[in-house]
Amino acid sequence: MSSFLVALAPLLVVGLGGLLLMLGEAFAHRERGGSGPSADLAIGSFVTLAAGAVVAFSLWLVGPENLGGAAGVAPFLIVDRFTLFFDIVLCVGGALAALLAGGYLPEHKLDRGEFYPLLIFSTLGAMVLASAGDLLSLFIGLETMSLGVYALVGFRRGSARSAEGAVKYFLLGSFAAALLLYGGAMLYGATGHTDLAGIGAALRGGTLTGADYGLAIVAMVLVLAGLAFKVSAVPFHMWTPDAYEGAPTPATSFMAVAVKSAAFATLLRVLVSAFGDPASMSWGTGWPPVVALLAVMTMTVANLVAGRQESVKRMLAYSSIAHAGYLLVAVVALMTQPGIAQGSILFYLLAYTVSTAGAFGALILCGSRGKEAVSYEDLAGIGHRHPVAAAAFALFLLSLTGVPPTAGFFAKLYVVRAAIGGGFLPLAILLLLNSVVAAYYYLRVLVYMYMREPAPGAPVAVPMRSGYVTAALLICAAGVMLLGLWPTRSLELAIDAALAAR
Amino acid sequence: MNLAALIQFWPAVVAGIVGASIPRQAKVRHRLGLACVAAFAVLTVMWLWPDADAAKEATDKAAGEWPYLLDLLVGLPIFGAVVILFLPRQMLSTLRAFTYGIFGVSFLASLWLLRVPMTEGWHFVHTKDWIPSAGIRWHVAVDGMSVWLVVLTTFTTPIAAFASFGSVKTRVKELCVSFLLMQGAMLGAFVALDMFQFYVFWELMLVPMFLMIGIWGGVEKIKASVKFFLFTMAGSVLMLAALLYLVWTHHELTGVWSWDYLDLVRVVLRGDSTLSFHPQMLGFLGLSLAFFIKVPMFPFHTWLPDAHVQAPTGGSVVLAAIMLKLGTYAYMRFSMQLFPGPAHSMAATLAGVAIMGGIIYGAFCAWKQGDIKRLVAYSSVAHLGFVMLGLFGATTGGMQGAILQMVNHGIATGALFMLVGVIYDRRHTRELSEFGGLAKVMPVYATLFIIVTMASIGVPGTNGFVGEFMIIAGTFVSEPLSQLAGLQAFGAALGVIFAAVYMLGAVQKMFFGPLTNPKNKHLSDISPREAVALSPFIVMIFVIGLFPSLFLDRMKPAVDMNRELFKESGGQALRFAKRADGSLLDESHFPPAFLAGSLVKDLAARAAADKAQAVETAPAPSPAPAPTPAPTPNVQRLPAPTAAPPTASASVAIPPAGASGSAAAAPPTASAAVPPGGPGKAPGQPPPPPVSPKAPPAEPKAPPAPPGGAP
Repeated sequence: MSSFLVALAPLLVVGLGGLLLMLGEAFAHRERGGSGPSADLAIGSFVTLAAGAVVAFSLWLVGPENLGGAAGVAPFLIVDRFTLFFDIVLCVGGALAALLAGGYLPEHKLDRGEFYPLLIFSTLGAMVLASAGDLLSLFIGLETMSLGVYALVGFRRGSARSAEGAVKYFLLGSFAAALLLYGGAMLYGATGHTDLAGIGAALRGGTLTGADYGLAIVAMVLVLAGLAFKVSAVPFHMWTPDAYEGAPTPATSFMAVAVKSAAFATLLRVLVSAFGDPASMSWGTGWPPVVALLAVMTMTVANLVAGRQESVKRMLAYSSIAHAGYLLVAVVALMTQPGIAQGSILFYLLAYTVSTAGAFGALILCGSRGKEAVSYEDLAGIGHRHPVAAAAFALFLLSLTGVPPTAGFFAKLYVVRAAIGGGFLPLAILLLLNSVVAAYYYLRVLVYMYMREPAPGAPVAVPMRSGYVTAALLICAAGVMLLGLWPTRSLELAIDAALAAR
Repeated sequence: MNLAALIQFWPAVVAGIVGASIPRQAKVRHRLGLACVAAFAVLTVMWLWPDADAAKEATDKAAGEWPYLLDLLVGLPIFGAVVILFLPRQMLSTLRAFTYGIFGVSFLASLWLLRVPMTEGWHFVHTKDWIPSAGIRWHVAVDGMSVWLVVLTTFTTPIAAFASFGSVKTRVKELCVSFLLMQGAMLGAFVALDMFQFYVFWELMLVPMFLMIGIWGGVEKIKASVKFFLFTMAGSVLMLAALLYLVWTHHELTGVWSWDYLDLVRVVLRGDSTLSFHPQMLGFLGLSLAFFIKVPMFPFHTWLPDAHVQAPTGGSVVLAAIMLKLGTYAYMRFSMQLFPGPAHSMAATLAGVAIMGGIIYGAFCAWKQGDIKRLVAYSSVAHLGFVMLGLFGATTGGMQGAILQMVNHGIATGALFMLVGVIYDRRHTRELSEFGGLAKVMPVYATLFIIVTMASIGVPGTNGFVGEFMIIAGTFVSEPLSQLAGLQAFGAALGVIFAAVYMLGAVQKMFFGPLTNPKNKHLSDISPREAVALSPFIVMIFVIGLFPSLFLDRMKPAVDMNRELFKESGGQALRFAKRADGSLLDESHFPPAFLAGSLVKDLAARAAADKAQAVETAPAPSPAPAPTPAPTPNVQRLPAPTAAPPTASASVAIPPAGASGSAAAAPPTASAAVPPGGPGKAPGQPPPPPVSPKAPPAEPKAPPAPPGGAP
């Protein structure tokens, strides 16, 4: 029993912490006009999520194969290195979002305590999703994560944009969940299993009748479509820019980082465990051509549209779509180079987490209430007015561009290496050319920050001051530089974490 | 003693006195500066002069090449840039003095490189592991080809910085950081032998140049800087793809991840494939495109005039004098050796492009420009066309000429850009039609301009003559260019005439004729500060023009070796290219001095050392697992003697890159075991899970399989 608890410790720590914070928030007495709840809750959430990451890491050091209890929860929750790696990434993403919220919410008069429990329980859902080995637990995790995020998107109740984003996200997200559920039902009908390993075994066994096999193929497409919504691959990306723009920026950062990572975790697990048989992994009868098409469309469309945006936040939203496209290239490479491709995806998500959370954090730091940094013009000349915020923003954008020696460069390098090694040279070259297109709009921010002066009389962003945001940026910057200069160790961890291809 | 020293160095003293007395009126400071430049130039010539005793003495010293010298050269400017970030921006003189100090130390340190006779092979080699799991190292070295470019860099950047500090008064701190970072990155790219390291510096170089054009540039600065960045980046990502393809092939053949140039030169990519292009050719084009954009070669040259016109003077000088040379240098070093087959077979075509698109078209474009800076920019396209022609021709003379011409172009064009900057500071226009008869009001300026123009055209006695002559002569006898060589030499010679047409035309319009424009009547002549900045260039024009063998002799062994290698592996690679599998050229194919220090050799040596040590510590070899009393964890953690055999042999079997020593030592057998999977395989067949016999370290450790059961 106790070993059972140990195996689930990261989930339990995060869940318990969330409950305690919720209770604490409800019973706290706070005099009117005093500081809002963020002061305590942001730290509390950060500590909770960081503790989740630390516990996950210590389980990693012990080795999940040495945990007796891990088998007890399988196949609903699978505790392996893959899960633990994602637990760490997700907790880091959530913790950074909590710190950003600690600065952002009071500044923008949104300081209501429910933000933090929502954030924590969403992270919990994401962790469940990443460890789910059964379609049922997968769905539960997905919904736990999504419901919290829907509420976070609509957190600015007074803002029409926020409401629009939330409704759009909710409707499309529910639709996607329905597709996924429908696909799951079909899979059960075809194979008689809801656990991914069982489905995989049934498909691999070659005992399915023709009709059942057809059903399984349809189900595969439905499941892929449902997950493509979550990773916001083109053409399932329509909700992303609106939801990202409408949400308060810390929530945007959380969505771009944690939700996307969890979606990729489950995508990998489904593709490798359930659809990992030779037929499904083939170019003729399987998912690779679909995923390759998604990847090409996602990269190209997102980058071209991002170049036309006038709002920096929307540009970052499209850029996060484009990054999903790069990752899908590595997903295609699973076909021939499973180990290296998964390692590159995991490393990419880690690097992407710190770079994107940092970029959103820098965007928060560049604006204050009523003087938010929304468009490029608002950022004009901020390089002189607030050199630290501008330098941080520049660092994270260079990392997203993939300029060495930052984390983003190595991440892209490993993905391209996997794609070239897997024999997908055209995809790799498309990815690289796309990253040149992306350089255009990232550079544009640098140009405005350092090379333009604001037009006289035009509204400009006035940087805010917040210890929380600064702390988050410091963590991100350290991550970007460490992963950029000494990527060896973390890449080894990522490769260790890869799922076995069978 | 003092008297003896004075007598020994009398030419330098005389030159110093002459230098100091040249200006009619100037402050003592500036006279002193000119005297130092003149004396220093003479000293350099004396010092470089071949001398039996000195050569012997130098050979003795060569054994003690200080391995960290190149690290210092690369690291010092970057370190300086970081330090400057923390200095207050108000302390202008401190910032400048610090920058000059770093540049001065770098220059002196780079002169040390010349003390060593540049024999075949690498000098000042230093290697250090960086990312062992991916086979990436810090690997720096120079040879007779790159040493001149290193010295050119340390020589030109301080002058450009000196000129910039004269005209740029805003955001000096950022300017210092940009210059220092740029020098560090450029030097890093010139001395890198690890392709990854090269790529990192290649990209890093972009950022300061982007800032320099974008912050201190002209009216259209933002468009120009973004264009510059995007053009270069488009090239470099394709280079990355080509390099990754090579690295993968190397890994498939040997089981070792390595980005080392000296390992990758041995790789010959597989021949037949479903791709319509030969992979060798694709790789060559991908790699070389990056360099052609940087050079820039004909269809990719459009970023250059914009960047030059908008850049501040200092930026233009660095861009023209050094940064463009990275393209030509990298083509010579990397494209020609990594893909000798395609480089050989494409040479005639590319030479045609260089002549028609570079030399002749560039000259025509320059001729029609009304903006003098744009004219100089197009003349760069033409001159670099010469350099590329020398490389495509691949004769010893031609390649020597090309390297010399790189240095020459750096000096002459750098000086031209500074001269243009001088007139721009006075009139804030660069339109040729605004000027005329300037020689009457600015005689010294006109003289200097004409000297530099002569160098740029290639009049005998100046440096340009030597380089262009050698290139054209080399083209004429070139073997890769075969039947077309004569025609191409003729075309190139025609280019020299065109150069005279447009340069002399511009000089005539600017300096001679009646002084019509009233705004020009009261222009002041060149200031002593500007004269000091220009004087090293002027001196070097004549030093190279009159004593070219000082430079040519030092680069000859390296150029000879590279050319031989190129010629031979060009043929070899073409023959190998028909095979279905990739292959490794045999080590005996390369001169031993060339391959010294490669990662594969390094790993093999390390594995051998480990093995020797293991044998030493445990003389009784018992490869079987430890007998009955299974070692408890405690015992295993004890130092060597008790549990020696298993742990020691394990440490041999898992070197950083996952290479076993035997695989590295016997590449042919390893290549036979390559599975048919991997790149180039036709899609459509169900892929077997690629479990190769020598599974790379990247293969996942199988996590415990979840027991599957229907609920």
